[in-house]
Formats: sequence, C-alpha cells, structure tokens
Amino acid sequence: MSLELKEISDFLKQHHPFDLLPDDVINALPKRLTARYFRKGTKVLSPEQQCLHLHIIRTGGTETRDPDGQLLARLGEGECFGVRAMFRNGKAANNITMLEDSLVYLLPEKDFHDLAGKYPQFNYFFEQMGGARLRSGMQLLEKRDDDQLKLMSIRVSDLIARDLVSIDIGASILEAGKLMSAERVSCLLITQNGDKVAGIMTDRDLRNRVVAEARSFDEPVTNIMTPNPISIGPDDYAFDALLTMTRHNVRHLPVMKDGKAIGMITTNNLLARQSLSAVHMVGRIRKMTRPADMAKVIAQVPELLSNLIEAGATSRNAGHIVTTLSDAATSRLLQLAEEKFGPPPVPYVWMAGGSQGRQEQTALSDQDNCLILDDAYDPDQHGDYFKSLADYVCDGLDTVGYVYCPGEMMAKTAEWRQPVRVWQQYFNKWIEQPEPKALMLCSVWFDLRVIHGTRAIFEDLHRMIVTKAKGNRIFLAYMVGNALTHHVPLGFFKNFVMIRGGEHDRTLDMKHNGVVPIVDIARIHALANGIDVVNTYERLEAAMAFPSISKQGASDLLDAFEFISITRLKHQVRQIRDGDRPDNFLHPESLSAFERTHLKDAFSVIKNLQAALESAFGKSGT
Amino acid sequence: MGLRQKIIDSDFYRQMVQRRATGPLRAYYDIPAADPDTPVRDVEFVALDLETTGLDPKQDEIVSIGLVIIRRLEVDFSSCQHLLVRPKKELSESSVIVHRIFDTDVEQAPDIEIALAHILPILAGRVLVAHHAPIELGFLGHACKRYFGASLQMPTVDTLVLALRDLHRQGQPMKSGALKLETLRHTHNLPPYRIHNALSDAIAASGLFLAQIAKRDPKGELELRRVLR
Repeated sequence: MSLELKEISDFLKQHHPFDLLPDDVINALPKRLTARYFRKGTKVLSPEQQCLHLHIIRTGGTETRDPDGQLLARLGEGECFGVRAMFRNGKAANNITMLEDSLVYLLPEKDFHDLAGKYPQFNYFFEQMGGARLRSGMQLLEKRDDDQLKLMSIRVSDLIARDLVSIDIGASILEAGKLMSAERVSCLLITQNGDKVAGIMTDRDLRNRVVAEARSFDEPVTNIMTPNPISIGPDDYAFDALLTMTRHNVRHLPVMKDGKAIGMITTNNLLARQSLSAVHMVGRIRKMTRPADMAKVIAQVPELLSNLIEAGATSRNAGHIVTTLSDAATSRLLQLAEEKFGPPPVPYVWMAGGSQGRQEQTALSDQDNCLILDDAYDPDQHGDYFKSLADYVCDGLDTVGYVYCPGEMMAKTAEWRQPVRVWQQYFNKWIEQPEPKALMLCSVWFDLRVIHGTRAIFEDLHRMIVTKAKGNRIFLAYMVGNALTHHVPLGFFKNFVMIRGGEHDRTLDMKHNGVVPIVDIARIHALANGIDVVNTYERLEAAMAFPSISKQGASDLLDAFEFISITRLKHQVRQIRDGDRPDNFLHPESLSAFERTHLKDAFSVIKNLQAALESAFGKSGT
Repeated sequence: MGLRQKIIDSDFYRQMVQRRATGPLRAYYDIPAADPDTPVRDVEFVALDLETTGLDPKQDEIVSIGLVIIRRLEVDFSSCQHLLVRPKKELSESSVIVHRIFDTDVEQAPDIEIALAHILPILAGRVLVAHHAPIELGFLGHACKRYFGASLQMPTVDTLVLALRDLHRQGQPMKSGALKLETLRHTHNLPPYRIHNALSDAIAASGLFLAQIAKRDPKGELELRRVLR
C-alpha cells in the first residue's frame, strides 16, 4: 500500500528535517497527512487563530508576517509553517498568506509532538526560536571541529604535490640514485611493464641497504627495494594516510587508482602544508625587503584560507589569522619606510580601520588606514616626511595585494594624515553633527586598531571618542538609521530575496546583506555602551552585559554572524578551488537544504535585532 | 446536460433503481445521497479512479480501484484504498502494457463482487470525484447491475467537466492535451506524479478538485449543485 504514497514520502525525504527521520517512520508518515489547496492571496493563519497542524508546503509559497505586519520569512516548497502554533497549544503566532497557489500537507499536532519527542534532531529543528534552531545547527557543524577530523577533511588526492617519479625494474642502484638526485625526490617507484608497481625505494634504503651494507651500485634495484609496497587510494582521507604511515612505519605511500600508481605522498607533503601556515608566512614577510616579494606570500592567502576552512576553523579564527598577515605586511612596510626616510621627526601611530581594524578580513580586502600624528606635528617641517612614509606604505600595500581603498580612506590622503587635534575635531564633528557622509566614514573610522608606532597617541583620542559617543543619543539614532539601510535578504523567490539581473543575477550579497548589518549592530551597541573593542564578536560579547541588547539577542547574533561569515568564506574557498576570483555573491542553490534553512534563520535573527536596535536607539527615542 | 443524464441523476430514477438493488448495493441506496444545496465544504467526496482492460464496460473489466476521501475540503491520505481485482477473463497483452498489472498480480485478488462489496459502503452518502467520470460510472454501474441487480446512481463531480467550463468561461482556444489530468494539475501549480496507478490518479484528481473549488470559492461555501456534472 505504501508504494502509492511513495511520492509523498519521497518528497518528505528530500526536505529537512524530515530527512533526519528513519526510513520506516517517514514511509508511514503520508498516512498521517491530509492535503489542502490554497489560492494565491489566501490568508491561511492569523495570530491567535486555532492551528492544530504543522503545515508542510508541497507546492507554492507563503509569506509570514508578525502581528505588526513586519515580514519575517518567505517560505517555499518543503518548508513548514504553523510551527509556533505547535508550541503554543495550537494558537498561531503570525500571519501566513499564500504568495502562490499552493498545495499544503497537514500533519496533526499530536503526530508532530510524537515525532519531536522521539527524534531530538527533528525537535531541535522546530524549536520555537530561530536563534535556538540556529545554534543547534551550528553545533552539528562544529562536531567536525577536532584535530582528527581536520585531517578527515583533506583527501589524499589533494596532497599529491607532483608527478610520480618511477624507474623500470631492470635499472641498477646507480641509475635509480641518479634519477632520485636529478628529480630531487626522496622516493622512487619501481615499475614493471610500464605502469605495474613492483616496489618502492627510498633514500633511507640507499643509506641502510646500500652504503651501510657496502653494496655495489651495479646491483639491480630489486635487491634493495621494498616489493609490493603499502599504498593508499586518492579518495582516502589524509587521516587514513597518516594512520597507514604510522602503523607501517613508512614515510612514503604510493597513491593507487585502478591498479595504477598515480602519485606519491610523503610525510613531507603533510609538512609542506605546515609551511603554508600563517606563522610561517608572517616569519617570511618579516625578513623581506621588497613589496613585490611580500606579494608572493600574500598571494597564498586564498590557499591559506581554504586550508583553514577545510580544517574546520571558525570564521572568527580565520578572520584573525588572515588579518595577522596584513598587519605583518603593514608593519614591515613601515619599518622599511623608516629605514628609507629616517626616524620619524615626531611620534606617530599607524592605524588600521574597517575589516583590518576589526580583524575580520577575508580573501579579498582593500586597505583602510590612517596616520595619527603627535600634536608636535608641524605641516611645514614634517609634512613631507609623513607624506613620503604614507605613500610608501600605501603604494607598498597595493603592490602586496591590498588594493587602494576606493573611498581613499588611506593615510596616503592628506585628510587622513593628521595630528591628534585635527582627529579630535573630526570625531567631534561626526558625533555632534552627524550627516550622511560622516556616517559612511564611521564604518571605517570607528573601527580603528593600532598597527605600528606610539600606541599612547591613539589612547587619549580613543578615550575621547568612546566617552563622547556613549552619551550622544542623536548620533546613535543617526547610526541606527544608517544601519537599517542594509536590508536582510529574507525572501528569495521562494526562499531569499535575491539580486535580480546584472552580473550577480539570482544571488545573495553575503557581505552587504549579511555581514555588514551585523557589524553595524555590534558597532552601535559598542559605542552606546562605551565598549572600546572593535572586533564584532568581542563587541557583542561585551555588549551582553548592558541593557541595550538582551543576552539572548547578542548570543543569537553571535551565532548568526559566525554562520553567515563561514558560509561566505566557504563560498569564497569554493571559488578559489575552482580557480575563480572570490566574491560575496552566493547562489542559494549551491547550499544544502540544511544550510539554506539555517541561513534563513540567521537572517531573521538580524532582522529581529535591527528592529530591537531601532526601538533602543532609533529616532523615536530621541 | 443531455436528457438521458437528467433522468439518470433524478430522484425518480434513484427510487426506481433502489427497489431492484440487492446485497451491498441495497445498503448503499439506504444511505441518502448528499443534498445538492449543501455547501461543498460540508460534503464528503470520494475521488476514485479505475484501471480497466479496455474502454467498453460491456466487454472489458476492472483490474484495479483506487480511492481517497475528501472531508472539509481536505484530502485524507489515511483513507487511501488501492484494490486489485481479479478479472474473469485472462488479461490481454495490450492492457498489461498499459497497467503493468499481470495475471500473477491479480491471482490472489478478490473478484469484482467482493471488491464492490468493499467499496460500496465507502461510496454511500458521498459524492464521486473523477477525471472523465463516465468511465468510472460506466464500469461500476455495469458491474453493479450485473451482480447486484441495479445500476449505480451517484452524484458526481467530473474534474474534466469543471476544467472544460473554466476554459469555456475564459474563452480561450483549447490546446491539445489541455484537459489531461497532468496538464490541468500543472496549470494549478500542483506537483507532478511520476507513478501512475488507480490510487495515485485518484489522489491526483482529488488535488485538482480542491484547486478547482478554491478557484470558484476559497471558503468552500458554494453549493454542491454548482459543481456537479
């Protein structure tokens, strides 16, 4: 009998969280359902209306609005509504209107609770709060994040560094040694009839079996090779390779596919990945004297980023590590500038703003920086020195790979190369007479961090900024107004509101519609409460202690930020792997249903906290 | 509507056939038919589809019956029934190709009398929903007459007729295949079905029926008579 209802169970299996249910449970589910059909425009549920079923959209789409009419979500095929009612004794919480003609399956409340009681993953998914759901999703993802699993995420095929070097079984030890030397390899594959693997020979064999045993170089390699070596497949994980090497006490493993050797991995391959570590790269930059050399190291940032993400790094870690490299390049360029132009005539401090300031850089970053000079600065006497210094560093950064800021917010611009007193005037004006242009600057200049120079110069200025901004409700209200101009893309066709037309047709702008709104919210809570850190995570963590944002709200937003950022980074890593230039434009179809659902949750968290922000600091409050 | 149809659907005809009905058909007629003035949302429907060995009720036979009940304009999947019926004659090759129902499948299946005895109580008091209902009514009616002494009179909604009325009202020229179940489902944004058998086609017709009602009156308050064939 279940065969005929297979269409329905197959449909459910394709959608989260029904896919988490055991097969026998999901196959029995269609019999519990009823189906209803709604015309486009039908209002299906309204707040407090009785709703005794979980509604699963089979075809069509709906819109969810809260009792005040604010859009909360657009749902499409395979998504559910009436969820809140399941947790509110069958009373709907929001308005649900059909956006299209829709066929909807109804699961009775009792069956819903039976399933939720038996299957925790199913229950997690539906837990009332978007934030709570997001967190459980994050925990699922984070399970991968331990050391063994890092190696689990890299395939052997990704570790094969170069073409295989092999020699025929008829060769002598001398010939083999010469080939190893010429090819600079520590290991040679011995083959028979072209590609059949007969054995393996390593430099250790030359030492232990040839030199130590005073063997003649004219003997055949077969006398010293290890016949029928242990091998590994290209699709095995690096973890397996490491286990195999350890178990058999070997340092080389031929990679075999369909009986043929296609490559060799060595312990060095694993170490080579280490050489790409940020620490190593920073060390190299510190020794370099030319921006063009540094550019070669910085060119590896995309690869570093993809290794980090593959190894299960959080976006917070990744942002920190990637920023460390631009910090290193900036400091090194400043040292070189001071060597070139002599010691500074008055003390200065070089500041990074924007994403570098917040330590949230990704694979594509332009430069945002400024110079704050000691008040002893005299433009006539010292102007040339600092102009040369700034030009050298900004031009150098551009060469290294951090392109010029399109808004010219760089120390290279005279306006952003000023003594403390001028910076004080700037900040005074921005805070006391907020205007649109000033607000645009705020996203860069309120996220400053010391990179190089005399730290104390910034500290006094910083104290002034923090104190002034804290009490100024008009300034905060303007900041809020500005922050709310970044809309969350809740709603695509049936899922998200996507960019339409042009180069980025049918994509989501993960930066401007995802990352930026959260960064803005965090900045406002930080400024409002006199919090002096600039990293978005740290700002939100600190803001939890203040009444302007609820602890739950801040913690939901932290989760949302991590989820959106990591989704954006993974998208960029995919592009890097495919040889494309990384960007911020994500096709939602490239995500799994699971990721799509959580992304939507993340966006709705932003939406809620934007609304909360408005009521806390918005114009109505002034 | 033709004169013959009017007679068949009339109360007079019903009373006449009722007197001759025997067995389960008698019990069927003991339950009154739905009042045509009832709002559709208060009527219970049964969407039904048959698979047969051919198109002629006099010669050909029913090989499977699929049905699902619609209550308060909701398709109730727990009511789904799919019965195989053992034909009296051997299955012809051409019908096997259409239905993929083989002799071995129906060997254990009940005869049509037993199948009718099983479904008549489900049909009683309800309104039939079928896509191109003359086939279903013809085959069921013929079998009833043969085994239980009288024909089957049942108020019926034909989703094909409703679709035809929609198309006439829109005044659009009819494209070929426009009245096919799959095509109509597609125009109402209903999901396609990959599997075709009596039950899945009955379910498909039930979805189309809901869409056609929703189009006429989303609240389902229109009278049954306005959608009867």
